[in-house]
Amino acid sequence: MTTPPLRPSVPLVSGPRAEATPDAAFLASLKKVTQYYVVTGFLALLVGILLGPLQALNYAGINVYDYPVLRALLGSYYQGLTLHGVLNALVFTQFFISGWMLYLPVRDLGVRINMRFAWFSYLLMTAGLLTAAVPLLTNNATVLYTFYPPLEGSPLFYIGAGVMVGSSLLVAGQVVLAWWHWKRANPGRVTPLVAFGSVATWLMWSIAALGIVVEVVVLLIPWSLGLTSGVDPLLARTLFWWTGHPIVYFWVLPAYISWYAFLPRQAGGRIASEPLARLAFVLFLIFSVPVGLHHQYADPNISNTWKSIHMLLTFLVAVPSLLTAFSVAASLEDGARARGGRGLVGWIRRLPWGNASFSAQVLAMTSFIFGGAGGVVNASLAFGPVVHNTAWIPGHFHITVGTATTLTFMGVALWFVPHLTGKRLFGPRLASWSVWLWFVGMMLFAVGMHWQGLLGVPRRSQMSATVQNVYREMNLAVPQAITGLSGVILLVGGLLFFWVLFRTLLSKRVQDGEAVPIPYSEAISPAGENLATASLLTRRTEPLLAISVFAFLLVLLVYAPVLGPMIADAQLVPGVRLW
Amino acid sequence: MAAPHRPVRRLDHRTLERYENIWLGIAVVLLLLLFASVFSSMISGTFPLLRGTGGGHAGGVTSGRVDPRNLAATPFAKPGLRENADGSLEAFVVARAFNFEPAVLRVPAGRPVTIHVTAADVVHGYYVTGTNINAEILPGHVASFTLTFRRPGEQSVICNEYCGIGHHGMITRVVVDPPTARSRP
Ligand code: HEM
Ligand SMILES: [Cu+2]
Ligand SMILES: [Cu+2]
Repeated sequence: MTTPPLRPSVPLVSGPRAEATPDAAFLASLKKVTQYYVVTGFLALLVGILLGPLQALNYAGINVYDYPVLRALLGSYYQGLTLHGVLNALVFTQFFISGWMLYLPVRDLGVRINMRFAWFSYLLMTAGLLTAAVPLLTNNATVLYTFYPPLEGSPLFYIGAGVMVGSSLLVAGQVVLAWWHWKRANPGRVTPLVAFGSVATWLMWSIAALGIVVEVVVLLIPWSLGLTSGVDPLLARTLFWWTGHPIVYFWVLPAYISWYAFLPRQAGGRIASEPLARLAFVLFLIFSVPVGLHHQYADPNISNTWKSIHMLLTFLVAVPSLLTAFSVAASLEDGARARGGRGLVGWIRRLPWGNASFSAQVLAMTSFIFGGAGGVVNASLAFGPVVHNTAWIPGHFHITVGTATTLTFMGVALWFVPHLTGKRLFGPRLASWSVWLWFVGMMLFAVGMHWQGLLGVPRRSQMSATVQNVYREMNLAVPQAITGLSGVILLVGGLLFFWVLFRTLLSKRVQDGEAVPIPYSEAISPAGENLATASLLTRRTEPLLAISVFAFLLVLLVYAPVLGPMIADAQLVPGVRLW
Repeated sequence: MAAPHRPVRRLDHRTLERYENIWLGIAVVLLLLLFASVFSSMISGTFPLLRGTGGGHAGGVTSGRVDPRNLAATPFAKPGLRENADGSLEAFVVARAFNFEPAVLRVPAGRPVTIHVTAADVVHGYYVTGTNINAEILPGHVASFTLTFRRPGEQSVICNEYCGIGHHGMITRVVVDPPTARSRP
């Protein structure tokens, strides 16, 4: 057994050499702001997923939108869908991730950050959310979470969304600066793994977010305020997808951090290889961003050559994904064998399946295997047109972001919330039920929706209300039944989870949160502490800033020839409101 | 959190490295297979498409700009199928919330048709069920693709990009007529 690497200033509270944290007051206030981020995120998810089953019923051919109760609550199916997409995919993820990836690296590095600024970022992000919520709730921005112009929502929506996304860059700045201070104070040291992954993710996001920030600030806000006469819809879409693809890695990389660094210990195992984990994060940092055109295969006036280049770059993301599959599976096997597991696959039974936090994350990873396989289909220039904008697509991303990310965050919350608050997890068995129901529900959902998509059912369509008989000719009975059933299972699973979460949050504080340790894992092949003696891979992956400059140049290289002609050729078209 | 460790032999650094290398080999083989299939699809589909000869892939939506406020000055003024002097067929389709013009597009079976679609207001989709014809229709932009409908009959066309409150009703048909004498040389 190797000894765990020594952490610099803040000791590993969970490790064998646990000591009291030097500055309890600072840690307490860091925990508080983190808790606010996390709980705000989950509140958004709660509202968001309450709408999901209504949509699943729609895809079961059942139109519930004529019931007076729903009529009173929602202007239309599409208003509900906009809320669902924005709250789940944009708000929940961004708030949870901001808390999660502020707390971990700051604590890991033992750097003090300015707490007033940390609160300011949280409040600004929340103010952005509330601003955008007004038009969303009053049916004045029913433009879906992709808000493609020239469908024109209220300016408040674009301003609120811009402020919300923009303030995530403030969190990125806090973390990167904290890391920078740590580097200066500890020259020649290897950045601890969790901090390394967090910094890599934030750097990637900083490059990725530029597209949407430019779209919203330069194009959409002035246009919706009536200051410009229109927007070029293709230019806006291209800037949107500059961010819109890497955002999916911004959703999964924080889950990867948990899979790599914490899940092994929860399984009683060790990280297979720390240098390999670092390589994976660096490859994601480089290859997540220059690929956005693979969402625009069906768009006119973009050269097929550049579409093909983005396709090839997209496939390179398979490499870090396969590395992760190996590395995490190896660390789970290590844990299971240590617990007496035998046989080629028999060891799987010895994993701690009864621990909901663990099983949530392993189920999330399992669903990600199918999600990744479907993603290769979507990313292919030849198959893309068969599935583009069909029900296949929501089928795909509910087993990626809806499960890989969401279920991982749910599993993480089961220890993270007690750790932050000092409260005891309410109902561990109920928690187990909720995560299994979520997994089963999403797998069924994926089957139903992928199937319907292949038969030709479009996404984002209140198909249950159409008077045309195109769907009656499609033989949809079985996949529709599966989709409807999955919505009900998901509703039960989701409500159970929130019952557990809120009962936990509303219970009395019973202990010091530190009694629930962060499950830092040891490594079979550690990265070492000093760069001078570390392996080649560790040394090459350490200069994250230089690597992100390279990534940014790569992005410019593949986007300049695409955006250049679009800007030169831009033609403004006026906005319309059609809902 | 850690489970009780029994005295079993555990993986060490060296064995792990061997496994890592095996896995790296598998990943490289998978990647080579992926690249091989991508390249064959490029040779069979993408390259012909880059040269503008079709090749069976409808991914090749190509260029064209129009002013959506002045479609009257373009061939989109009269949506529908037309035969050019050289005998080639072109169809012009306008997507507008919440229908397509012409309401039904009639094409002959067995002859290549170039379809041009544009939008008059917001972004729409043009998706022909059961095929890989699937394009985003943006105002100000023309999406064009050439294809041959082989079997006579009807095919549904669905707007598959959210375009507003009537989006789910934005559905039309392509009617493929039996081949005419001219198309059977
Ligand atoms: C109770 C669980 C859920 C159910 C039953 C559900 C169901 C659905 C359905 C049926 C659609 C397709 C609607 C349409 O295209 O017309 C949809 C869209 C979507 N869902 Fe979910 N969902 C659930 C949870 C989630 C979660 C956890 C996330 C992400 C964290 C998520 C993110 C999205 C997004 C981004 C869309 C696309 C919205 C759009 O196309 O504008 N959903 N959901
Ligand atoms: Cu439409
Ligand atoms: Cu539509």
